[in-house]
Amino acid sequence: MTFDKQNSQVTIYIDDQPYQVSTDNNLLAGVLSQKLNLPYFCWHPSMGSVGACRQCAVTQYQDENDQRGRLVMACTTPVTDGMRISLKDSQSEQFREQVIAAMMTNHPHDCPVCAEGGECHLQDMTVMTGHTHRNYQGEKRTFNNQYLGEFVGHEMNRCITCYRCVRFYKDYAGGDDFGVYGSKNQVYFGRQQEGQLESEFSGNLVEVCPTGVFTNKLFSAHYARKWDLQSAPSICAHCSIGCNTSVGERYGSVRRVMNRYNQAINGYFLCDRGRFGIGFVNGEKRLRQASGIRQSSPERLSKLDVSKALVHFRGKRFIGVGSARASFEANYLLKQFVGNSKFSLGLTERQMQLASLHQQYLSQYQPVSIADIEQSDFVLIVDEDITQTAPRMALAVRQALRNASIEKASELGVPHWQDSAVRTIGGQELSPLYLIQSMGTKLDNVAEQVIMQSTAATIKLLNLMTELITSNAPLIDIHHQGQQLSSLLNQLVSAKKPLIIGGWSRQSPQLLSAIMSLLDVLTKADMPVRSAIVAQEVNQVGAISLLDQQSLSVEDILENVKQEQSSEVGGIIFLEQELSGVSQTQLEQLKQTQLAIIALDHSENAVTALADIVLPAASVTEGDGHYVNYQGLIQRYYQVHPNRLPIMDSWRWLTLLATTLFAEHPLAKEAQSLSQLHDDCRQYDAKWPMLPLDDHYDIARESHRTSGRTSKTANISVHEPKTTQSTDGYRFSMEGSKPSSTAEMPFTWAPGWNSNQSITQFQQEVAGSLLLPMTTQYLSIAQSIAKYCDHSEAVVQTSQANALQFSQQIKWYQGDWQAGLTPEFTLIESTNYIFLSSDYASQQGWQSGQWLQVSCMSSKDNAPTSVIAELFFDPRLSDELCYGQLNELATFDVKQVSLMAASEKQVADYKMRRKAEHTKAEQAQQYMLERLKQQDQFIPIRLMNGGLDDV
Amino acid sequence: MNAMTHPLTHLVNLAKPLNFSQYSEQGGYVGARNALLEYSPEQVLELVKSSELKGRGGAGFPTGMKWSFVPQFDEHDRRAAQNKYLVCNADEMEPGTFKDRLLLEGVPHQLIEAMIIAAYTIGANKAYIFLRGEYFLAAQRLQQAIDEAYQAGWLGKNIQQTNFHLDLYLHTSAGRYICGEETALINALEGKRANPRAKPPFPQVAGLFGKPTIVNNVETLSNLPHILKNGVNWFKELSPGSDAGTKIYGACGRVKTPGLWELPMGATIGQVLNDHAGGLCEGLSLKGLLPGGASTDFLLPEHLDTPMDYDSIAKAGSRLGTGGLIVLDDKNCPVAMVLNLLQFFAQESCGWCTPCRDGTPWAVELLTRIEQGTGTVDDIDSLLKLCDFMWIGKTHCALAPGAVEPLKSALKYFNDDFVEHIEKGCCPYHGGH
Repeated sequence: MTFDKQNSQVTIYIDDQPYQVSTDNNLLAGVLSQKLNLPYFCWHPSMGSVGACRQCAVTQYQDENDQRGRLVMACTTPVTDGMRISLKDSQSEQFREQVIAAMMTNHPHDCPVCAEGGECHLQDMTVMTGHTHRNYQGEKRTFNNQYLGEFVGHEMNRCITCYRCVRFYKDYAGGDDFGVYGSKNQVYFGRQQEGQLESEFSGNLVEVCPTGVFTNKLFSAHYARKWDLQSAPSICAHCSIGCNTSVGERYGSVRRVMNRYNQAINGYFLCDRGRFGIGFVNGEKRLRQASGIRQSSPERLSKLDVSKALVHFRGKRFIGVGSARASFEANYLLKQFVGNSKFSLGLTERQMQLASLHQQYLSQYQPVSIADIEQSDFVLIVDEDITQTAPRMALAVRQALRNASIEKASELGVPHWQDSAVRTIGGQELSPLYLIQSMGTKLDNVAEQVIMQSTAATIKLLNLMTELITSNAPLIDIHHQGQQLSSLLNQLVSAKKPLIIGGWSRQSPQLLSAIMSLLDVLTKADMPVRSAIVAQEVNQVGAISLLDQQSLSVEDILENVKQEQSSEVGGIIFLEQELSGVSQTQLEQLKQTQLAIIALDHSENAVTALADIVLPAASVTEGDGHYVNYQGLIQRYYQVHPNRLPIMDSWRWLTLLATTLFAEHPLAKEAQSLSQLHDDCRQYDAKWPMLPLDDHYDIARESHRTSGRTSKTANISVHEPKTTQSTDGYRFSMEGSKPSSTAEMPFTWAPGWNSNQSITQFQQEVAGSLLLPMTTQYLSIAQSIAKYCDHSEAVVQTSQANALQFSQQIKWYQGDWQAGLTPEFTLIESTNYIFLSSDYASQQGWQSGQWLQVSCMSSKDNAPTSVIAELFFDPRLSDELCYGQLNELATFDVKQVSLMAASEKQVADYKMRRKAEHTKAEQAQQYMLERLKQQDQFIPIRLMNGGLDDV
Repeated sequence: MNAMTHPLTHLVNLAKPLNFSQYSEQGGYVGARNALLEYSPEQVLELVKSSELKGRGGAGFPTGMKWSFVPQFDEHDRRAAQNKYLVCNADEMEPGTFKDRLLLEGVPHQLIEAMIIAAYTIGANKAYIFLRGEYFLAAQRLQQAIDEAYQAGWLGKNIQQTNFHLDLYLHTSAGRYICGEETALINALEGKRANPRAKPPFPQVAGLFGKPTIVNNVETLSNLPHILKNGVNWFKELSPGSDAGTKIYGACGRVKTPGLWELPMGATIGQVLNDHAGGLCEGLSLKGLLPGGASTDFLLPEHLDTPMDYDSIAKAGSRLGTGGLIVLDDKNCPVAMVLNLLQFFAQESCGWCTPCRDGTPWAVELLTRIEQGTGTVDDIDSLLKLCDFMWIGKTHCALAPGAVEPLKSALKYFNDDFVEHIEKGCCPYHGGH
């Protein structure tokens, strides 16, 4: 958990054997760290001890002569030097069995139809205690289950009342729409009323619950047992944090995403965007065939096909538009092939300024890790709603706020892991969190102070703070536009581990620049300030590291397109780029062009729609590559399942294209494997930033219990298919080294530990680092875009009469285009709403709950768009400021809006349109499911590398 | 009755309790005045310590010692400004116990005076009375007395022109037995679920809203004005036995005159049962009794000479508890009685820890079958195992061990009755009707 560890090891005796155990954690953690089996339920490595389930009882003896001993709960017992305990004595063994027997009195024993079956902590613990015979003869209590939304299923009868769910949801993640009701043996965990769980961490209930009360609905809908899944270590592709995931697949479709433990990043928890946003891989918008090229073989495009199609572009130059969601390798290759002066990331001029500043930031500072965020004793978040743009970071901030309580508890001798005791002692005390922002966020209610103002005002405020700290002036009684700043400033300069978080959301280079000035002055004053800048997409940091002085902005590209006649440019290659920052008019311009447009992508979007040639790219689960997270940490994702040709990794496509288009280029040879590509790059470029890949191991992607290894395709051919050969160190097979042969485990499993809690068996100590070290390599980034260093452009100012400044609240299910393709994300989309100051609204005579027509002046094209939104009040807003969510404008731009009351017809039309969208999403969900289930019956096995050819 | 021999109850008037001025005329608020004007908090603490007053809520913990765990910060300490709280536990829900109700309804000002003394001693400026929700009349009378005390300058700012401030609030419980457990009570008072808390921290260090808190029972507190008024020696001499003061004993069940009596601490069971409750009703004889509410072990007729003080009752194999006898006669089924009690405990389990949450209903299930005549001999073994499973040290709080006490002792003393149920296939007391 949090706070500095003392790290003192002492000797304790477990069944008379000496063990070296750390005193930083409780006895249960100590026992588990020794890889000894001791069952537990209510304790969780990240959430500490509460002593509810009584499952981890052991017998403690006073000394060698004590024969009787007494029962203690290991999770609430500190480790002390020389302590003697027994796990094997009959007293504690019997008690542990009785606990399970008591819990199981009401358990329905419905394991065959339970999605948790085979990876159930309750099953594991039951076997571990030796409880094999049921004595209870009474009736079982029954509950009604609730609809908890699109993602989490609910089967309360399975509940064994360990309280972990509510402790996670409310205490750990700060959710307030889920709780515990009732008492005695009728304790109910659920919502007050049925409905979508509101927390962006709701999916963790699935992993936190030791049995099948909370299940992943998307997984259950198209289900396979854990042991039948083919899995690989992956990286969540949906924000810049880069949480580690384990993705499971069977019969060619991705089934689910589970947390993959990484101590420094996600620990034990993922956000819902990461867990449930995987639907795009199986989705209806997937591109599965190439278009615009004649294909000679039905399965794959040959080199010949490509060269035939592109031969007349040979010698022409291409513009390459990479993206922040494509792998580092693909972006790198694209830049090499098209050349520095023709490379772009599809960023606007303004975003290029942000990129330039971000490069500068990363060249000067090492952003703090998620785990280190939890250590902070002061947090300032500047105009970035991390609860929605980087939810896992917000979860870490929440834990940091508890440090005040933990410190207070330690003064009373209560250790940090005594969770309920720490919460009792802490009362409502939190470490300071300050929010300066233009919209309300989910962290508001745990903040010491929320300064609600426009981004422009925030920039001024930050500059004032910088000045004050530079001038060394006494920080007393300082005000700025009616806001008291003294405590913010004082706590910032006196904190031991202060943290400042900013980001790209507001799309304001001035804001980023002001944050950096503040960081600069604090660093120069030798203050221990730490920071993080949240980018928007998974590989944004990796992508912008490739930008340089010559790189093109979107505006530059359009300029190029206009002058197409005179230029030597033959076309544009779009690499997994949907051009979300580009207006309709600009897209139209692109469409008009005579240039060849080649799009590589995994799903349909605005760019593939206008492309001449579309090449189906691998999604993250079918691909191999690296992403660079917000810290500059380079992380590898592995193929979970073989890609079905002609789908290929973008980097493979690019090398294939290069053999025709850029044949002279040294890298223009079809890459056979990622490690070979890396070797080639290393030879070609002395500055190639990545360490050699260590792909020599052979780890099974499938569990050793996988069913039907030889018969999965027997309906097609009775021959046992040759397994697809892979080149990345993992096999598409149940044969190979065990998953724990590497730190990057495809899934976790240990004898007797079938659930994800088996991870304890592979950690040096509970919640510590893994036994096998993870490679941690950071990308070194230099500031190489200089021409955008002029920050004089003013932020959007309210100029029109009656215009308000509107900030779009991007929800976690919207911020990422790929995740947004998941049908369920459309289903949970909220209706449009807008928050205004109550003063302003009452001047206009508007009521809360009324519908307004919002006319937006986009900063890009001047045609105003009109949408309608439901009105709510936020008393903290000033009259010229508003925020909300207008689904039609899913970009982050600050906009000027004007408001008027909406007519009844508009509201009715809007509601009808929403209903239609809803129905469409439901149908899409249904259709996808049916298609996938049908597909399970016919497994195409002609795969890229090897495979059976007699289909 | 007189003030010197029946300090707690001599002013009780259930029909119409004394108002502020009547109570004052009868010697009320003298103890509080003594405390506030003549003693420092430390001196009061010493007095209470040396009086050897023990908690009357059931556990019998020395009150002075409990108070002394409250941290006293010197004025330079940043924590000195923190709130401390005093809470009166008036959530009287122990089956067979109704002694606090007498004090609450009959002499509410006595409790307020007591709380002023206690709050002054520990340095609390806010105090709560956590009252059983069903005690409507007590709520009414307490609130009136609180209002009167505010008017008379005994509550609020600068009480009796001293520097001591105290605000007293009445909180009526939403009603759970577990709220009698002091940390569950604190959780309930904070608006949380009434689950007992992990200890440490003890409430004296981190209680209500994380601040130092003392929780005392109504009867315990009610002794304070008299100790302050009449002195420690007087208090200790009230009782001939090892425990000081008087105790309100009660009796219920089929006795001739059920009721409550304030007697010197250490009156024997026989005295309470025979001299005051009039013995059992005609035609009945004593089979056993619970000496101090539902969560104590059965005692037998042979224990009638046992003094009802903490140590003597413990020696006899039970606990003094609340001092309210529940009497079992020879015409009532002990299995049915234990089943009834276990149903209560299963119903009132907070649901936090497994042995209590799932153990008590399991015991109910077994007892039900035995009582209905469908049990087996194995069920008795299962019950004994459950008694061990729910015993002290294995549960999160004392509720389940409290449930075990009557069950385990019944299995010990009335084993024949259990066996008879099983052998006859029906309840021998009701002949299966």
